[in-house]
Amino acid sequence: MRRVMWLLLVSVAVAAGLPSGAAPARPRMAMILPGVIQDADFNAVGYQALKEVQATTGVQTAHSEQVAVADAERVAREYLSAGYSIVAFHGGQYLTIVQKLAPLFPDATFIMESSGQIPNLPANVWNIGRKFYEGFYVLGVLGALATRSNKVGYIAGIRLPDFVASLNAVFQAVAKYNPRAEVLYTFVGDQNDPVKARQAAESQIAAGVDFIVISVNLGTVGVIEAARAARRPVLLTTFYTDKSSYAPQHFTASLLSNFGKPYVEVVRQILAGRRSGYYEMRPGAGFGLTPPKNVPPEVSRRVQEVWRAVVLRQERIEEVTDRIVERR
Amino acid sequence: MSWELFADPSLFRLAVAMAVPLVLASAGEVLMERGGILNVAVEGMVTLGAAAAFLAGFATGSTWVGFTAAAAAGVLVASVLAHYAVVWRQEQVTVGLTLYVLCLGLASLLYRVVVGVRLSPPRVETLQPVSLPVLSQVPVLGEVLFRQHALVYLSAAVVAAAHVLLFRTALGLRLRSVGENPVAADTVGVDVFRLRRAAAAAGGALVGLAGASLPFTLTGTFTEGIAGGRGWIALMLVIFGRWTPAGAAGGALLFAYVEALQFKLAMTSRAVPPQFLQMLPYLFAVAVLVRAYRGAQAPGALGKPYHREARA
Repeated sequence: MRRVMWLLLVSVAVAAGLPSGAAPARPRMAMILPGVIQDADFNAVGYQALKEVQATTGVQTAHSEQVAVADAERVAREYLSAGYSIVAFHGGQYLTIVQKLAPLFPDATFIMESSGQIPNLPANVWNIGRKFYEGFYVLGVLGALATRSNKVGYIAGIRLPDFVASLNAVFQAVAKYNPRAEVLYTFVGDQNDPVKARQAAESQIAAGVDFIVISVNLGTVGVIEAARAARRPVLLTTFYTDKSSYAPQHFTASLLSNFGKPYVEVVRQILAGRRSGYYEMRPGAGFGLTPPKNVPPEVSRRVQEVWRAVVLRQERIEEVTDRIVERR
Repeated sequence: MSWELFADPSLFRLAVAMAVPLVLASAGEVLMERGGILNVAVEGMVTLGAAAAFLAGFATGSTWVGFTAAAAAGVLVASVLAHYAVVWRQEQVTVGLTLYVLCLGLASLLYRVVVGVRLSPPRVETLQPVSLPVLSQVPVLGEVLFRQHALVYLSAAVVAAAHVLLFRTALGLRLRSVGENPVAADTVGVDVFRLRRAAAAAGGALVGLAGASLPFTLTGTFTEGIAGGRGWIALMLVIFGRWTPAGAAGGALLFAYVEALQFKLAMTSRAVPPQFLQMLPYLFAVAVLVRAYRGAQAPGALGKPYHREARA
């Protein structure tokens, strides 16, 4: 009897020491990024969000940088076959990849980003809708009120729906708050080419622009250099991260993005068993505005009033993503 | 659309500033090709030069240390190519393409190791315009040519010096003979191997400086893909300029003008799709190259390894 008791005790102890195959393993999450995480911009804030997810939820994370759309499916499949159950695509360009992969991997959950609600997404997809244009509307108001030459510039990279909507929002803001001003815009064809961005900025400044709304990523540094080299004061705004320390005398306000908030919330929902849904990033929910600088106090006050109105959805802003509607 | 748009002084001023990396890189490539070494790694070397310049400048706070680091990086890569081409007599295009990929990777790696992940991009001070006394007061021309940063003036001096060296000195004659007919040059006592290596090093230094001009005059920082195809354009400009530094520099100014023009046109003409305007400099390059290539005569021994013991 004593021997039997002893064997039972040893068996229980051994069983307790073994890794439990039956217990549910903590999910692993991979993020696919279009650029390098050193960009101090869109990819850096995506990477920061991933680290925040790891720190707050305990999910093990991995990431791949500089993944072109053509490569995204292969990279995602590698993560899925390696046992990652959550795959996030940081960027609006991966929609078709998610739509293709999600039905093929029903046990995995996908997180994608877009400009808003997308109908008929698979049942294992979370969509983070980014309403950049509402934030850019406020930057347009700032430009309209701060320009002295009545020429507001807008520099974007690729003609994506997000950026078209943002340009249209700037047009609406300028038309409403300073009808005498005009908007000059340039799509340079690359979000991360500072040389092209600088050329575009120099052309706009030479045409009389004294306020530039920046909608490029790493191209921002080129615009900053153009503003610094200009003979008359040129004011700038930027987004994603605060780059005002770069040129304190030129920057007015930054539209900040906190992707950590939506990603942490979405992953928590996934861990709780809810495998699809929609999270909207907009002013007050993932987007913030730094207090305007280098402008008269009344301009700063007015802009912050408009920001609050946008947060509360009291300001009417039309979202046009498929064409540029110039307003005078 | 007004035709005055095409003659806007601000457009020419921008074109002169933007031509600097093309002028330096094409001058370096002319020196190398005149010596018989075909360097197709220019794009990678420009990128590596930009990274080396930015990182050295960022770490020390000195622009001149940055320029020196970029030139040293260019010399190093060009010397590796020259060693393969001259001593080991390897296929220059293959080695050049390998070096091109290596340089891109190395530039990215160095930046990651030194800078890491930041939410605020690190930057270096860019060169500010220097007004030349008297000359800067000349109407239009003063604004376009004589209120530029120091590297514009240095590039003009480099082109003039390279042109004089190649076509007005005994050393230039020897270098050209090495690139045209190394056997004949060797028989009259010219050290083919040494001269090819020296030309490669000098050319590499200029290509490295072309890379340094990007962070130090245009962007204030380093980004992946900062060269933006300028190295490949420099290769084309060598053919456009018929293997002369002055001709390549003229082509660089033309290309930079068309590049700057696309942004002017984008603001004034909504009828033309921006995608077409973005293609404009490259369409121009192809069209000009097709025209310029007719009758162009490359150095006779370009890309061919020289083997002293080989039988004809």
